[in-house]
Amino acid sequence: MRTILKAILLFSILLLSSCATIISGSRQNIKIASKPSSARVYINEIEIGNTPIQRKLKRNQDYSIILKLDGYETYETKLEKKFNAWYIGNIAFGGLIGIIIDPITGAIHKLKPEEINGSPKRGTTYNTMENGKLFIEISMNVDTNSEKIGQLKRES
Amino acid sequence: MKQMTKVLFLITVVGFTRCGPKITSNFTNPNPQPKLLIGEKVALLDMEHKLPKNILKVGNIRFQDSGFSTDCSFNSLMNQARIVARKNGANIVKVIDKKKPGLWSLCYRLKIELYKYDGDVSAIPQYELKLD
Repeated sequence: MRTILKAILLFSILLLSSCATIISGSRQNIKIASKPSSARVYINEIEIGNTPIQRKLKRNQDYSIILKLDGYETYETKLEKKFNAWYIGNIAFGGLIGIIIDPITGAIHKLKPEEINGSPKRGTTYNTMENGKLFIEISMNVDTNSEKIGQLKRES
Repeated sequence: MKQMTKVLFLITVVGFTRCGPKITSNFTNPNPQPKLLIGEKVALLDMEHKLPKNILKVGNIRFQDSGFSTDCSFNSLMNQARIVARKNGANIVKVIDKKKPGLWSLCYRLKIELYKYDGDVSAIPQYELKLD
């Protein structure tokens, strides 16, 4: 009986030892919205769709984000990988395996929008949900070089 | 045991937080090119893609496995090469040697040449970058 208990305990330790990977996963859910909406979103210069949009991105990379909308200035920012505090859980559980596994899966990192002097870039607001999902909202500035030449009206 | 875990933790944190691949570059061009803007296209040419004529070589980059590299997929390396190319005024990234991940390394290892081309790079057959 004791042997079985020890085996279960050992199995649990091994299972729980990759803390960040289990809690956070190797990818992070990112939702990008803009004011106004329907801006074209490019991640690493790959067009992925219009705002609001959601993607699961690997945690072990930095990403460039570009938003384009007619009549508005192109907005550039970055998603940077930062240290994921769940990794410290490996120390609490004594998880030798987790110390190796979490960095390999990328779960040692979490993605955050770039910061300038400790604050998000002007125009960016973000919120990290409890489940790790990152919600980014970008306010776009009107392009003063563009000229309004007309407006379409819906016929009633 | 706990002491060992702490030491291993420290080594791993230091190692993996610098988890990018080892990048060596060489720019020998006597006429440095102006930086490219983010809107200017850079063509990514894999091994099978051919270089156009009338191009100027700007330099070389080599991506190796640092031993702690985790951010070293082909798409990620090509994206990093494009950033280096832009900084150095090159608009063609050409892979000249590619080693795929295997038994000894989980990373792609690439030798890349950077070129400046005065024509339209979007007309060149090229590799289409994907999000991993």
